[in-house]
Amino acid sequence: MLSYILDRLKSSIVVLFVVSIITFFVLMIIPGNPAQLILGTDATPEAIAELHAAMGLDRPLYQQYLSWLLELFKLDMGKSYVYGESVTVLIARSIPVTFSISIFAMVMAVFVAFLFGMLSAIKKNSITDYFSRSIMQLGAAIPSFWIGMVLIVYFGVKYKILPVSGFIPIEQSFTGFMRSIFLPSLVLAIGEVGTLLRIVRSSMLNSLKQDYMDMAKVKGLNAGKIYIKYALRGALTAPLTIIGMQLAKLAGGTVVVETIFALPGLGRLVLTAVEHRDIVLLQGLVMFITSIVVIITLIVDIFVMFLNPRIKSFHQGE
Amino acid sequence: MNKTVELKNLYIKAGDNTLVNKASLMIEEGEIFGLVGESGSGKTLTAKAIINLLPKGLTYSADEIITAGKNILTASNKEKKEHIGKNIGYIPQNTVFYLHPMLKIKNQIADGYIYHMHKTKKEALEKAEALLSKVGFKSPKTVLNYYPWQLSGGMRQRCNIAMALMNDPKLIIADEPTTALDTTVQRQVMELFKAINEEMKLSILLISHDLGLVKHYSHSLGVMYAGQIVESGYTKTVFSRPKHPYTQLLIKIIPSLEIRKNEPLTEIPGFVKDKGRDSNGCLFYNRCPEAMDICEVKVKEHMDDNEDHYYRCNLE
Repeated sequence: MLSYILDRLKSSIVVLFVVSIITFFVLMIIPGNPAQLILGTDATPEAIAELHAAMGLDRPLYQQYLSWLLELFKLDMGKSYVYGESVTVLIARSIPVTFSISIFAMVMAVFVAFLFGMLSAIKKNSITDYFSRSIMQLGAAIPSFWIGMVLIVYFGVKYKILPVSGFIPIEQSFTGFMRSIFLPSLVLAIGEVGTLLRIVRSSMLNSLKQDYMDMAKVKGLNAGKIYIKYALRGALTAPLTIIGMQLAKLAGGTVVVETIFALPGLGRLVLTAVEHRDIVLLQGLVMFITSIVVIITLIVDIFVMFLNPRIKSFHQGE
Repeated sequence: MNKTVELKNLYIKAGDNTLVNKASLMIEEGEIFGLVGESGSGKTLTAKAIINLLPKGLTYSADEIITAGKNILTASNKEKKEHIGKNIGYIPQNTVFYLHPMLKIKNQIADGYIYHMHKTKKEALEKAEALLSKVGFKSPKTVLNYYPWQLSGGMRQRCNIAMALMNDPKLIIADEPTTALDTTVQRQVMELFKAINEEMKLSILLISHDLGLVKHYSHSLGVMYAGQIVESGYTKTVFSRPKHPYTQLLIKIIPSLEIRKNEPLTEIPGFVKDKGRDSNGCLFYNRCPEAMDICEVKVKEHMDDNEDHYYRCNLE
């Protein structure tokens, strides 16, 4: 088992390394001189050249890459010129915002998807099933910017139950925090719940058809045991993988929702970095987001292995 | 003698299509009852009707289904479930997926026992251990900690048998229990059934397409053809005086070791009907060597005076 985890860890490190190369070089090849961008169009060529040299941009690319990589290990990703602050600090400040809404959104999506996915599989073609299938369709079809604005109009402006925008840190006020993340999380959850519900439903349907369900029924166990211990257990692998992917996607920044609700999260940071060609910030963000995806995938894989121990034994070549 | 199972006039339908037509059988306490027939003859469906496990989409009706002393036709769903879970063990044909692949043996072998007998997990595992060693495992403790896919087919089937025995059931339904096993293991498993039957005095409904096996191990048997039981009675009687031409043919074609080199195995020409099983005539009519015109429209049911040899045929 440890060898499996180590093996996955090795391949994760390779992925991160390759991504670091691609990120660095692709962003460096993009035309446009960062020094020029910082100083603006009015700057003299001498001033630009001076800044260019000061930023180390006149060195060969591989040297620049190596020093960047070295600094990366020290968690120093350089300084953003738009904000004039360390990229590490900027990211660290955005993490609570994006992670809170992502995790809360996934909690909601998982709850609804499992509840309705299981019920609709167990009672196929019932009203619950039709209702669940409508959720799937709607979740996939409604654009998040639209539902976000609708929610703002109703909950924020018309009934004034929830704040329209902004983020309140959890240490400041728990209720304030929950109120500030509720609507953005809801919008994200609506976007993700359809896919997840579909996967839960189809995995459940498949699991319900398996022979072990006959056995569980012959044993005359109660519904909870039959449907949760036997059916759900056999249906968890695919949803778990999807949850991991969705969480990784959301945690990497949710540009649209963060923009609508004016949340200072990773998505906003990405947007600013792209708009202002803040290459240092962008490099840092891409590395960070990739790491999150890799780490979440790794965790999910380990979970799935515990759930389905055959993976482990195949790995050992049994 | 007391009856463990009494099934009278069972009909199973999928929409308008009749699958099982007027099947009746009776299993006495402590006997092995063999149910033989070709694939698609309705053996498994008949057995599943007894344990309330018919797949969705099938409807059934019967005059009487008494399973282990309870009329399950009049029982509520909950009563049925409880009663069957408690008193009947089911041993499936395919051994691979009847044990949940993601649960260790110890986490699935005992849950019925814990639930119905109100035992703790510890007590249940002790019982499971005892039963696993009874079915021939040398180190039952290790087996309990295995996942099903870490066991061979024969070992899995033995786990299934141990699991079926957990509640000290009155009846075990074994649906082609040896199909997925190789011949040596087949014999071991069948001897195990015999031993269990003799020691624990429980009834076994043995479903098989292997007439040789049924002849050797069962006390009574029923021969199914196209959804009907065409002949039933004590195994000895049926084999010494088979009345139905289908049974006669089946007995004739049991392969024996005296077969000569290059001699083809005999077979009954034609196929089992899967449509029109609701006909009043004999369903074996189109394959029967002794068919008469009347057989197509009408068939006579015979039951001898002791009610222990039944067959449906127009021949006397």
